[in-house]
Amino acid sequence: MIELLLIIFISFFLGLFYSFLIRKFSARLQWRIGPLIFMYKDLRSIMGITRIIQPLYDIIKLFGKRTIIPESSRKRLFIYSPYISLIFAFTSIFFIPFSSIPLLSNIPYSIVIVSYLLIGSLLFMIIGPIASGSPWAFIGVRREAELFLVAEFSFIISLFSMAISKNSLIIWEISTKEFNLINITAGLLMFTSILGKLHIKPFDMSEAEAEIVAGPYTEYSGKLLGIYYLTKIFLIYDFIALFISIFTPINTLPIYLSIPLFLIISIFIIFILSIIHVLNPRYRIKNALIWYIKIISILCLINIIAMVI
Amino acid sequence: MSSEIKLIKYTIKKPITLRYPSSLIPEKKYSQIPEGLRGLLQRDNEKCIGCKACHYSCSGKATTFQYRENKLIIETFILRCAFCGYCQEICPEEAIKLTKTFEITINNPNEKEAYVTTELDLVKCKNCGKYFATKKFIDKTYQRLIEKINPIIKELVMNDYKKIEEYCTDCRRILSIKLNTHPKKYVWLEG
Amino acid sequence: MSLLKKSRIYSPWLYHLHCGGCNGCDIEILAALSPRFDVERFGIQLVTSPRHADILLITGPMTKQILPMAKRVYEQVPEPKVVVAIGSCACGGGIFYDQENYAIIGIPNSVIPIDVYVPGCPPKPEAIINGIIQGILKLSKKS
Repeated sequence: MIELLLIIFISFFLGLFYSFLIRKFSARLQWRIGPLIFMYKDLRSIMGITRIIQPLYDIIKLFGKRTIIPESSRKRLFIYSPYISLIFAFTSIFFIPFSSIPLLSNIPYSIVIVSYLLIGSLLFMIIGPIASGSPWAFIGVRREAELFLVAEFSFIISLFSMAISKNSLIIWEISTKEFNLINITAGLLMFTSILGKLHIKPFDMSEAEAEIVAGPYTEYSGKLLGIYYLTKIFLIYDFIALFISIFTPINTLPIYLSIPLFLIISIFIIFILSIIHVLNPRYRIKNALIWYIKIISILCLINIIAMVI
Repeated sequence: MSSEIKLIKYTIKKPITLRYPSSLIPEKKYSQIPEGLRGLLQRDNEKCIGCKACHYSCSGKATTFQYRENKLIIETFILRCAFCGYCQEICPEEAIKLTKTFEITINNPNEKEAYVTTELDLVKCKNCGKYFATKKFIDKTYQRLIEKINPIIKELVMNDYKKIEEYCTDCRRILSIKLNTHPKKYVWLEG
Repeated sequence: MSLLKKSRIYSPWLYHLHCGGCNGCDIEILAALSPRFDVERFGIQLVTSPRHADILLITGPMTKQILPMAKRVYEQVPEPKVVVAIGSCACGGGIFYDQENYAIIGIPNSVIPIDVYVPGCPPKPEAIINGIIQGILKLSKKS
C-alpha cells in the first residue's frame, strides 16, 4: 500500500526530472547552458537558487493565471477533457512496475489496461482541442490524430508481440521472463512509437510553433494548459518506465541494484531522445506517415522472424 | 555525418553563452561593445550656448526647446531618440556627446528620467524687454564674427556689434537706421 | 514570498507582437533569445499563442492598421500580464513620429498600457534582456 502512495511522488518528480533533462541536454547540444542547476551567486535573491524543477514552476505559474474560455468552444468538453486526460495518465502509473516493485502490474490483463489507459490519455489530448473551435487547433489535431494512429500501431504491435512470445498478458510476468532477441526488436518498435507520442522533434508537427500558432493548445490558457503540462509529465514517466520494465531484464534484479540501474537507463534514453530532438528538422505529416509505415513494416517483419525463432 | 561531428564538437566545447545579468566575472558580462556604439545622449550644461542646432538637425524631433520666462529649456525625449548622433555631429560647442550607456529601461514616460534637460538663462532686450538669447550665445556670435571677417571692415563691424549687442533681432532691424548699423554700408565699403 | 509569486518570477513566457516598423528590433529580440544570451537559463521562453504568455513584447510605431489586432492580442493575454515596449518606435514613435502623420499613433500608451520602455534604435540584446527582467519584477508585484 505504501508503495502505491510513494509511486505518486516518485513518478511526479521523475517526470519533472526527465522533462528538465530533455531541456538541459538539448540546450547543451545546442552549445548553450539551458536551465541553470546553480544560479549565479549575485542573482540568487531574485532568481532563486536552482532551476532543476523548472517544469514545476511553469505548471504552478499556469495554475495561478486567469483561464480564458473561448465563446466558440463546446464548454463542457473543452473544460473537462484535460482533467480526464490527466486522470488516465495518472492512473496508468500504478499498472507499470517501477524497478522490481510490481505495484498493480501483477493483476490479470494489466498489459491491456495500460495500453487502454495510455490510448485514452492521448485521445483526450485530441478531443479537448477539437472542442475549442479554433482553426489552428483543428489543423494541429488533424496532424496529431494521424500521427497517433501510426504511432499507436507500432505501440500495440510491440506490446502484444511481447505478450505472445512470453505467453502472458500480465506486465509483471512478461518483464520477469528471460531476455531474448524479441526484446530488442520489439523494443525498437516501441522506441519509434515513443518518438511520435512524446512529440520528439521530427514528429512535433502537431504543435508546430509559429507554423500553426501553438497547434492543439492554441486556445488553452491558465489552469487548463497547466493540466495538459502535468499530463505530459506523467506521460513521459509512463512511457519510459514501461519501456524499461518490459524490454530490459531489470525486474529480475534485487531492488538495491535495480533502482540505480533504472535511473541510469532512463537518463540514457532521455539523452538519445534529446539527440534526436536536436538533430532533426520537423517533418511534414505526410513524410512522417511514410517514415512510420516504412520503418514499422521492416521492424514488424524482423519482429515476426524473431518470434518464430 | 558532418552534423553528428558538429554535435559532438559543440557538446564537448564550453557553452558560448554569456553570463549577462550576472556581473560576477565582468569581462564575460557583455557581448562585444563596438567602438562607435551610440548610447544615451549627454548634454554638457556648461558648454551649451542654446543655439538650438540640435533641435533643427534631430531626425525624429526628439529634441525640443521652450522659452519659459527668463529660461530657455532644451529637452530630449529619450524614448523618441533614435541615437542617430546628428546632434553630436552638428553641435558647434561639442556640448552633446553620445555615451556608451545602452542598458536603458524607463518605467514612466512622464517622469524626469525620460528626458535629458538643459536650462539656460536668457538676456533681456534693452528696447522691448523681451527675453531673446543667452549671454553665451551673443558672446560666441561676436567671437565667430571677428574670426572670419574681412580685415578691412573689421573695426567698423566690431564697433557696430557693440552697439546692437543688447537688442533682440526685431529691435536690431528697427533701430538700424537710428544707430547707424545698417548692413548696406558694408557693400559700399567693400565694393 | 509565496510559491505562486516565486514561480511567476521564475517562468515568464514571452509573446512577440510586431506593430509595423522596420524589423530591426525584431531581429534584436531574436538575437536576445539565441544561444549567445540563452534566456532559458532563467526559464524565459518564447511562446506562439498570446493565451500562454505573461509578457508581451511590442515593437514598431503602432500603425493605425494594426491597432485593432494589437488590442485583441493584448486582451487575449491572461492576467497577470506585463507589456514591454522595445525600440524607440514602440516607446515614443521614433523617427516615424510626426504630429500630422496619418498612419502612426505615436506613443501607444493610450491604447495599450505599457509597463516598461526599452529605448534604442534598435536596442542591444542586453538592453532587451534587462527590460524583460524589469518586466518580471513588475509582474511579481501584480496580484
